[in-house]
Amino acid sequence: MLIQLNFKSGKPVYLQVVDQVKAAAASGALRVGEPLPSIRPLAEELRINRNTVAKAYAELEGQGVIETVPGRGCFLKENNSPFRKDIRLKMVAEEIDAAIVQAHHLRVEDKEFLALVKERLEAFEATNKAHEAKAKEQL
Amino acid sequence: MNQDQSVIEVTHMVHKYGRTEAVNDLSLRVGRGKCYGFFGRNGAGKTTTIKCLLNLLRPAAGSVRVFGLDPARDEVGVKSRLAYVPDYVAFYPWMTVRNVLDYLASFRPRWNRRTESELLGQFRLDPTQKARALSRGQKTQLALTAAICAEPELLVLDEPTSGLDPIVRREFIQTVIGAYQEADPGNRTVFVSTHLISEFEGLIDEFTIIEGGRAALTLGADEARARYKRIRARFASEAPAVDFPQAKQVRREGRELELTVNGHSEEILERLRALAPEELTTEALTLEEIFVAALK
Repeated sequence: MLIQLNFKSGKPVYLQVVDQVKAAAASGALRVGEPLPSIRPLAEELRINRNTVAKAYAELEGQGVIETVPGRGCFLKENNSPFRKDIRLKMVAEEIDAAIVQAHHLRVEDKEFLALVKERLEAFEATNKAHEAKAKEQL
Repeated sequence: MNQDQSVIEVTHMVHKYGRTEAVNDLSLRVGRGKCYGFFGRNGAGKTTTIKCLLNLLRPAAGSVRVFGLDPARDEVGVKSRLAYVPDYVAFYPWMTVRNVLDYLASFRPRWNRRTESELLGQFRLDPTQKARALSRGQKTQLALTAAICAEPELLVLDEPTSGLDPIVRREFIQTVIGAYQEADPGNRTVFVSTHLISEFEGLIDEFTIIEGGRAALTLGADEARARYKRIRARFASEAPAVDFPQAKQVRREGRELELTVNGHSEEILERLRALAPEELTTEALTLEEIFVAALK
């Protein structure tokens, strides 16, 4: 899993780390039970404050994405969100709303938007399969 | 700990050299465990402020508290818990690197030998070398190593990278602050003054820009990047001559329009979209660009 930050995005740095870990988990670049980089090396590599990485990991733990094993580090958890299903759906709906607003401003039509969603889902599926195949090869 | 979580608290501080006011009604607060940037041009009052924190200078008015203590009344209480690296460091020239470290360690209740050897190795400092033979950059590296080995609760750095070449600079500050925060990060506070801001981009949690001895801007780094933005719009024909009173700066060049904004970006974007641009992009300013924009 490689994290890349962009200070020009205007998005809080710790949230960039949170979102990229989640994206890595969704695409299979990071698998259940795999360790996340430890805080200090990651902070040094990204040239950010240690507190920022710690804050991102705390947020990920709060969201149930990772778990901390004392003395061993942080690991990706089985995908069991601590939130109730209706709340999870609502959280996703908010993200979709933001994408819809963006699509409207960029004059992307509804049909194209839906096609794009499907295409992106398939793209994630494909990388996921590729990662799985690679994992099997290694075994 | 009184003053709850503040490590440094400066209120309405004034310091004058003769009739010249170097620091004029400055207030700032540094929370425990934060990496705090103190940005300003040369002569803005950065070093004077730092010297007031260390009781090397006495403020003419206002108050200074470090760990909730007054550095003028409780000098040892304050200094034993912090380490200070000035912009220009000097050692006894006849001492070797080893001697310098042992000498400095003798004043400290704690000294982390592991950190010491780790940093000496990373900076490739030879313990048998005489201080007089060290370059300016090596002296800074030695001073920072010594500051961190003492494991102070507060690290005060005055222009720590100014004597270093640009390649060494970024790597180096990262190493130093990483090593410092390694143990007990909640109790490791950094107060760093600099005008070379880009090296500290990702490290700074919060900052104050000082100008003419006053705080021109105090903000969290993420908050600052969310507020200060550059918006670019390109139109099919000549950029419309519309006024944007909320923008800090507007540049018009043929079909292109570039706005620097501090807040209000949603309203400005809304107005731009109504003008149907071919392309519309937004990016956050870097802390260095924010520094420049704030002082304009």
